[in-house]
Amino acid sequence: MKNVYALFIGVAMGLLIQRIRASSPAAIAANLRLENLSIIKFMAMTIAVGMMLVYSLSLVMPDALHFSIKPTYVVGVLLGGLVFGVGFALSGYCPGTCAVGIGEGRRDALFALLGGVAGALLFTLVYTTLIEPLVSVMDFGKITLADVLHVPVVPLAIGVGVLFIAVITWLPTDVRKHG
Amino acid sequence: MSFAATVTNSSASVAAERSGKLPPWASLGILFGVVGVLSIIAWGPIGVSGTYPRIIGEAMRAVAPGYAAENPYLVKMGSILVPETFILLGLVVGGIIGARFDRVKAPKMEATHPAETTPAKRYRDAFIGGMLIVFGARIAGGCTSGHIISGMTQLSVSGFIFAAGVFATGIGTAKLLNAAKTGGR
Repeated sequence: MKNVYALFIGVAMGLLIQRIRASSPAAIAANLRLENLSIIKFMAMTIAVGMMLVYSLSLVMPDALHFSIKPTYVVGVLLGGLVFGVGFALSGYCPGTCAVGIGEGRRDALFALLGGVAGALLFTLVYTTLIEPLVSVMDFGKITLADVLHVPVVPLAIGVGVLFIAVITWLPTDVRKHG
Repeated sequence: MSFAATVTNSSASVAAERSGKLPPWASLGILFGVVGVLSIIAWGPIGVSGTYPRIIGEAMRAVAPGYAAENPYLVKMGSILVPETFILLGLVVGGIIGARFDRVKAPKMEATHPAETTPAKRYRDAFIGGMLIVFGARIAGGCTSGHIISGMTQLSVSGFIFAAGVFATGIGTAKLLNAAKTGGR
């Protein structure tokens, strides 16, 4: 049953990604060059709405929420992000948006997905020698900002959400047009 | 062709802001935020990149079952019949449906930087970039969906660190590639 829900959630995600043009490599490149911020603002809005909604719900229906916090192994998470950023700018895709691009009929999206499969194979081959030692360095476990700042999580989620929305409302969408 | 599309997109959002309607990034972002929470209610936060090593796992179990059983990573990632895989399938379907609503068909190819002058160069960059995003995501334990969207939504520290890394090199690489023009590559 979970898999059926996941299929529907994937379709909804794919539609929204397609509508905001996050599956367009040219649009991703324009966002990363900070010339147009539509996709960055879309992501920030998603996160802001999600955090305010899910932590508000945690007050009324905590048992219905399946939170899953990923561990913060600082070196591995940061290094992974740095490698990801280079690939993101070069391909104009992320592991999900290339699937959307394939649906749209983009030929390069198929190459990005195949590259991803090759990357996963390479990762699997070097995991024991290169990756396992790396992910155990500076591992702080499953921590949230609330743990680090020692503040209650619900007000923090509302505060960070409001801050995100304030910043993206203030920022221009088309940077060049606004100077 | 890519510039024309970007301009259309942004002028549409400017028009939306003037008419008092929410701009697309806001309305679509609110919907995506709700979808992410529905996922947390249904089984857990959204994620995608774990599907790639699970594809390798299934392939290895078919051609080299001995290796698959001994590789700790493939054992850890397990079967491909998990929600994440169905999200990836759903994304393809979402792309097919979404493209139907486009007045102008999505181009078969768009360049990310000026040196991508031929389809072969675009395919090369898409492939190499595709390798890097999945390799990087697997080091970190998540990608744009798992770490940035789901992670930051749950206020996970790892999500903020991953996003900082992605945008540091993402912005730097995009600006460098744009400045390099056609030289050398």
